Amino acid sequence: MRAMYLANYFVAGCIASSFLGWVASLHPTSFRAIAFLAAGVFVIWGLCWLLDYSVSSLLKISVSSLQAFLLAGLAAIAIGAGVFLCS
Amino acid sequence: MQLKMFVLSGAAVALWLVPLTALDKRIGWHKSMQGLSLCAAIACAVTAGNIARTQAEQNEIEEIKTRAITADVVDEIATSAYISQQQRQQEAELILASPGDDVEATREALEAIYSQSLQDSPSTSEHPDYPIYLEICKSREAGKSTTWIVENILKMGGRKFSDGKVKLQTLLNQFEEQGK
Repeated sequence: MRAMYLANYFVAGCIASSFLGWVASLHPTSFRAIAFLAAGVFVIWGLCWLLDYSVSSLLKISVSSLQAFLLAGLAAIAIGAGVFLCS
Repeated sequence: MQLKMFVLSGAAVALWLVPLTALDKRIGWHKSMQGLSLCAAIACAVTAGNIARTQAEQNEIEEIKTRAITADVVDEIATSAYISQQQRQQEAELILASPGDDVEATREALEAIYSQSLQDSPSTSEHPDYPIYLEICKSREAGKSTTWIVENILKMGGRKFSDGKVKLQTLLNQFEEQGK
């Protein structure tokens, strides 16, 4: 059941990524906004990956859990964006 | 609850993929349909995730309960085993301690039997050693020494002198106590 709940949240992340892609496809301004948002997210993602020990102690989770969360988020964004771009 | 979760999960995936791939782009409302279906898919996925999380927490609580019950049962078994061991130890200690009581009881019983046999025994004058006792008394009145009595009356000189001395003392004690 724990795997199901993680899988559902992962699918939710994928769909959210596709939704952002859909929002970006509506208008050039929204595309720019989403591009800035994506850039910000990637910067934060990279900082979290580099400062994993500090961030894990700040969030009070283990380093391995934080790394798993970051990788799952990256995979969800990649899959969601890929599905939207390929459709 | 699980069926609802699975249905929501399937609906989320379907609402995510079908409008993106199968919807004809020439239709004017395909963009709005995609947006709506994606919003619905997100809602379905999040709801399914919440249900699954609730179920996982309940399962965890059930596991904790099961572990607590198991630990309780194990503790109960250990306690009963300890009590049983203590009872057996006490029984063993009682058994080990009982021979002393038996000896005491046996001693009392033997004393009772001995006193009864003394009462049932023949009178002092009929005792086979009584003439010897009388001779000893006469010799003591005549001022004879203990050594002389042992050697001449009890006929236990030499190596048997110490035994004779003990026998003399025994005879004296026996008949003097009976005389009282």
